[in-house]
Amino acid sequence: MRFEVFRQEKRKEYHQHVGDVHAPDMELAKQYAQVIHARRKPANSLWVVPKDEIGTVDADEQSVEMGGTTQKQYRWATNFATGEMPEEIEESEREQQSVERDAAGESDD
Amino acid sequence: MNIEQVKERAGPREFGPSDEMPEPYRKAATRMIQFHANSEIMGALIERPFIRQAPSLERKLAVSAQVQDEIGHGQLLYRAAEQLGVKTREEMLDELADGRGKFLNCFHYPLDHWYELPMIMFFVDGAAMRRQASLKRTSWEPYAHAIDKICFEEGFHIKHGEDILREIATGSRRDKELLQDAFEKWWPRILQFFGPTDDDSTHGGFAQEVGLKTMSNDDLRNAFLNAYLPKAEKYGLEIPEYPRIEYDESRDHYEIENSDLDWAEFETVSKNEYPPGREQIDSRGRRQEAVDWVREAIMDDSTTAVTGTTGAAAD
Amino acid sequence: MTELDPRDLSETEYAAVTAELETLADDQFVVAERYTDWQTRGPTLEADIAVANIAQDEYGHARLWYDLLEDLGHTEQELIWERDPASFRHATLLELGYETGGWADCVLRGYLYDVFEQLHLGALEETTYPRIADRLGKVQGEEGYHREHTESWLDRLTEDAAPGDEALVRLQAALDRLYPHALTLFEPTEHETQIVELGVRSTPLADLRGDWLAITTPFLGGLGLDVPDPELPESGVRGRDGTHTDDWERLYNEFTYTYEMLDREPRKLLVDPDEVGG
Repeated sequence: MRFEVFRQEKRKEYHQHVGDVHAPDMELAKQYAQVIHARRKPANSLWVVPKDEIGTVDADEQSVEMGGTTQKQYRWATNFATGEMPEEIEESEREQQSVERDAAGESDD
Repeated sequence: MNIEQVKERAGPREFGPSDEMPEPYRKAATRMIQFHANSEIMGALIERPFIRQAPSLERKLAVSAQVQDEIGHGQLLYRAAEQLGVKTREEMLDELADGRGKFLNCFHYPLDHWYELPMIMFFVDGAAMRRQASLKRTSWEPYAHAIDKICFEEGFHIKHGEDILREIATGSRRDKELLQDAFEKWWPRILQFFGPTDDDSTHGGFAQEVGLKTMSNDDLRNAFLNAYLPKAEKYGLEIPEYPRIEYDESRDHYEIENSDLDWAEFETVSKNEYPPGREQIDSRGRRQEAVDWVREAIMDDSTTAVTGTTGAAAD
Repeated sequence: MTELDPRDLSETEYAAVTAELETLADDQFVVAERYTDWQTRGPTLEADIAVANIAQDEYGHARLWYDLLEDLGHTEQELIWERDPASFRHATLLELGYETGGWADCVLRGYLYDVFEQLHLGALEETTYPRIADRLGKVQGEEGYHREHTESWLDRLTEDAAPGDEALVRLQAALDRLYPHALTLFEPTEHETQIVELGVRSTPLADLRGDWLAITTPFLGGLGLDVPDPELPESGVRGRDGTHTDDWERLYNEFTYTYEMLDREPRKLLVDPDEVGG
């Protein structure tokens, strides 16, 4: 059986996918994961998940929408010009701008 | 971990599902996050009529997206609460439906028309955003993760709210009058958003000691007034004479005359006993009950966590 | 067939293109409007969020088609907010209100419409009106998701259901109620002949009905539902010719409520003392 492994490097961080292990059951998979995916790189926690239990959605599949294919400007802070805003709003907008830039960059490829 | 150790270690994102948290912490965190999640759902509910009533296609899209975001925030927050192992999401939603679940005072007042919408979408959401920004440093890590995404989305809500405010404020004389009326009706409720000024609220002290809360209600209200009073003035809104607000320059602090606010009503609202608010709760409860059949039909046979089961999720 | 020039349409061409765009746009606008009825009322938080997303997609598609009407010189005010409710061209299926708890109606209606929409958009792939062709792809991308979503729900609700189970009973009742109205999807506007002759859409809507029946009848039957005889609503309403149910009038009054209220300063206010003498 194949298991996908997600590693959290330090406390308070998100788990990230790092690879897989082949093992006959969950117990061995967890043991393998420790020596394969946490041997040199530090790990505070590992998630080990049976590959077959993972559902996959790929953006280029038919009927996959993700964020949608039509214009969705209405749901972004950048759509509204309101002048100077409190700091927490400005920060939210900056985060949105950076995501929008990333998305625009990808569609240009 | 015992409570003393929790207080010692308390800091931003310090505790997560892998830590064994003592019961008082888990209960206090559940109460706080459940309250927050309920408020998202009830906030969505009072904005809901304006998806239909929005006066342009663009506004419809934005209001719909906003209500969608709020339900999404509820979804994130219930999970953060669930991970404390005290209550399941189903239990919390049932408590909201039957009137046991508590939520923010402002969402107990249904909106009469479009002119009232920016009172929620701009001022109340702005106040909520102030509080949420301070919760990025809460000690319950799953809560902080939910807050990250909420804050990321919320900037859109407040800017959209301000845009609606601007549009009405630059409309006809009648529009401006109706806007001022709405403001006067909502201003005292908005001032009450952060609770009474002279008490530390029953749970505030403990929640701050264990790092769940990072700012006092008083400081939050003050920061809110600093940022939003100038905005109200920018759009020509007159701040009502009562409740009296005094600015103390030496402390850079706004003093609100507590006795000018209706705390008896606030108390009734907080207990879910204010009749129009209660009707909101009950009507939502009836809608939830009306689709019970769907949840039963789709329930996986292996899952037994249906309404009525008692055992909270084990740690 | 000759391609039409959007900047130089004859009167007949203009009427045909307008009628087809109104059909597309109004269908999407009204289906979106009804989907939003489920916001904050979905059976689960996830279902609530998904329905909101679909509603916004549909409004977005309506906007794409209304935009093309704006290119022809109309404004959003004329196309939606100040339009005579009796000139909207959507099918009556899309305007009906839901009964409380009518999630079966919501997903079934979504399915009946999504299959039609897919066929309708497919029939436009060879359109002689270039601006419609330009926008088809984006709309089709999102419609695929909608259709799979409604199909998943129908499958899930009927999976392992025995005759007499609540989900099946509710779906059957919804199907019996909706079916005559679903057939108004294939009703023509008064410009249908020109639409087809000019190649704006070379397949008549009525011809799509056969394809639609060939897809929906076995699918619904497979769920354990009895598909009624294809008959139009007894009330005689036809949708695309401007005749609608009472539910439409209520819906129209609700969505124009704020528009009517805003910025409506009576002219006589001009004699307000503050305004005169300056």
